[in-house]
Amino acid sequence: MAGLLAQATNPIIRWEYFIDEWDQIQRALIEHLELTVYAVILGFVLSVGLSAVALRYRWSAGPINGFTAFLYTIPSVALFAILVPYFGLSRITAVVPLAAYTLLILVTNFVAGFNSVSPEVREAAAGMGMTPARRVLHVELPLAMPYIIAGLRIAVVSTVGLVTVAAIIGQGGLGRLILDGLRRTFWTPMTIGSLLSILLALALDGIILVAGRWATPWAQRQKSVL
Amino acid sequence: MTVLAQAPVPRDVGVFEWLFDPQSWTGSDGILASLADTVVLCAIVMVVATVTMVPLASWLAHTRRGEVSVSWLVTLSRAIPTFAVAGLLVPISLRNGWGFEPWPIFIALLLLALPPIFLNTYTAIKQVDPGVVDAARAMGYSETNVLFRVELALATSVILDGVRVAAVTVVATEPIRAFLGGDGLGRYVRDGLGQNNDGLVVAGAILVAGLAGLTALSFRSIESVALPDGVRRLATTSTR
Amino acid sequence: MSSNGHHSKGATEMAIRLDGVDKVFPGTERPAVSALSLEIPRGATVALIGPSGCGKTTTLRMINGLIAPTAGRIEVDGTDIATQPTVQLRRGIGYVIQEVGLFPHRTIAQNIGTVPKMLGWERDRIAERIDELVDLVGLDRDMLRRYPDELSGGQQQRVGVARALAADPPVLLMDEPFGAVDPIVRTRLQDELLELQARVGKTIVLVTHDIDEALKIADRIALLNVGGILEQYSSADELLAAPASGFVEAFVGDDRSVKRLQLKTVADLPFHQGPVLAATDGAVAARKVMQEYATDWIGVTSDDIFLGWVHADDILTDAPLASAPRAMPAAQVRRDSTLRSAMQIIMTSHTSVAVIDDGGQFGGVVTLELIRAGLEAVTD
Repeated sequence: MAGLLAQATNPIIRWEYFIDEWDQIQRALIEHLELTVYAVILGFVLSVGLSAVALRYRWSAGPINGFTAFLYTIPSVALFAILVPYFGLSRITAVVPLAAYTLLILVTNFVAGFNSVSPEVREAAAGMGMTPARRVLHVELPLAMPYIIAGLRIAVVSTVGLVTVAAIIGQGGLGRLILDGLRRTFWTPMTIGSLLSILLALALDGIILVAGRWATPWAQRQKSVL
Repeated sequence: MTVLAQAPVPRDVGVFEWLFDPQSWTGSDGILASLADTVVLCAIVMVVATVTMVPLASWLAHTRRGEVSVSWLVTLSRAIPTFAVAGLLVPISLRNGWGFEPWPIFIALLLLALPPIFLNTYTAIKQVDPGVVDAARAMGYSETNVLFRVELALATSVILDGVRVAAVTVVATEPIRAFLGGDGLGRYVRDGLGQNNDGLVVAGAILVAGLAGLTALSFRSIESVALPDGVRRLATTSTR
Repeated sequence: MSSNGHHSKGATEMAIRLDGVDKVFPGTERPAVSALSLEIPRGATVALIGPSGCGKTTTLRMINGLIAPTAGRIEVDGTDIATQPTVQLRRGIGYVIQEVGLFPHRTIAQNIGTVPKMLGWERDRIAERIDELVDLVGLDRDMLRRYPDELSGGQQQRVGVARALAADPPVLLMDEPFGAVDPIVRTRLQDELLELQARVGKTIVLVTHDIDEALKIADRIALLNVGGILEQYSSADELLAAPASGFVEAFVGDDRSVKRLQLKTVADLPFHQGPVLAATDGAVAARKVMQEYATDWIGVTSDDIFLGWVHADDILTDAPLASAPRAMPAAQVRRDSTLRSAMQIIMTSHTSVAVIDDGGQFGGVVTLELIRAGLEAVTD
């Protein structure tokens, strides 16, 4: 630890690092994005299934919420670690827990979104002779959209943050820059990794926000239950 | 995998063998010492978060000052990238001579604990029936009395719920400290990964998850014991 | 009064037939609807009315298949609805509910065009139909691009009606359509519905708990008791004049005769010409008419316009009535004035008679005796 004192004068960012290590930064950024996208897609697909079950069979809504809430409270370090014996230090070991953490927020929002469709609107849709499939696709899904988008935003942003933790199992995109810098007591990659991951979260959030506004022109305000 | 040190330790230490070995629990590297390390840090974070956020949020809600965007705060609380925040703070801390520990992780965890406590206090007090508040004022309660004996009293369970959510999140996140130059209960996962020792990794994960679960459970039991029935029935709102 | 039963012209004369319909909801012992038989003629407006729990909404929802009956048979347009795909059935029935149920994510135009779009109409035809309907229900075309949230309750209700009428269904079911708007708007919407119905001539089944609304809008009223028991199915006037049971009497209220006065109009009366002559007629004719009507007054018209009343003492022999001084101006009513307003006008006019203004021309006279006689006859 004596060497640390020398590092105290080490500047927080060395700008030439950007040029020298641009490839590495770019790789980390892409990996970060990939892990985020894979995890959210997996979480989204699972959430669609869980939400459908919770909405179709009312009794299952409680247990499903309990299960996803339980997953959410498992410490990230533990969840990444527990899969190491099975999948090694692979991408699967990173993506599965990341997806698991999105379930609570996504399922809660999906269910709330569909439940937000007023009985009168359902009644009117049925009374007009819409088929069940048409009711879901043309009425319920669009009306649930603000909730779905709100859930997606939180899921994506929190996943971007959690991906950095996946660096402890050798994945983690920008998180690897953080760990790498820490190991070498070299602050530039740490600072860059941290800043870029925050910027990435903000950028993705903004993209979904704009896409959501575009997709739901009738909803002026974003609705969220959580 | 080049980042991880390859240690010549046998690949498999039995998970339970290690957990039930008294030697694992004692000593300066032992589980008990690490546990104490974690619990002390988390407790300080929680105390600081509670004593700052509950009065602040109560005051804001009581005086209806500053319309707080609840959904924005919720999003924020879910989105704080603790690892990145701590990663940013470590260099700053070191440059100022404060060391790896505990400031970066402390601040990162504090940021995590503040939103749920603030949010629950704020919404709980705002949701107190205005009729009840008016009735209290009509009976001659002072503003302080209204806040303490009516609003806070009625909001207790929701506030406690916010504290529970914050505590569970803090305890669940604290293990990253072991990867940021500190120790605590997360160290066994780190050591296990470093030594390519799956048994230790899993055992460490069990400890970390166990503490988080225990935290959640103990808050639940505090809530069921400490709150009068009438107040508990009011606990209809919760962030989870 | 064959309110139920005989219909020699065949089932197709009836737009809707309910035959011994029962509905028992699972988990309840008491039936919501019991042995209900009802025939609703094509083009009629029928109100289902009764206290809460009388099964009126359940009945309505059974007609478009939102609820399946436990027993019995329901025919729409001569076809048993059980043999027909529900989706198909519903597309041929307009449905309006109290909460309107507009789709908040679709513009007013898209809302109105929902059923035509489902039926696969062409774009132009849908757009044309939307414009037509917006005019029909009295909305501004500017509103078409807006979303339902941006409209008032009354406007939303109009859109609801337009949406229900979009594919020109022969049958319109309305469940408390004006229950959620304030009384002033409600009255206006009721008037508009009457005008609309005069133009489109649909078969309308309307659920309401408001007897005055039923009396105002419906040709026939089905009064249901708790448990879906039909107490009376008759014209509004008959319901008021001859309540079939104590329940009906109590439901209709103490002011039945007042309500009848409001329900019936001058046109319903067997009114006559009265002691009225043209201005060119002379004293002899006048004396004869006054004798006939046993009165001291005679009305004078010129070119079918009523000029006023002349007293017997003022009539000059050997001169036309036109030269006599007219002592009393006429109290005037219209053919569509309610008997209640006619009565008020007569009682405040000091003439005990009112003159019918039939589009500017003299149409006859109305007296209190005539009104009394009119209340004795029941209009079917």
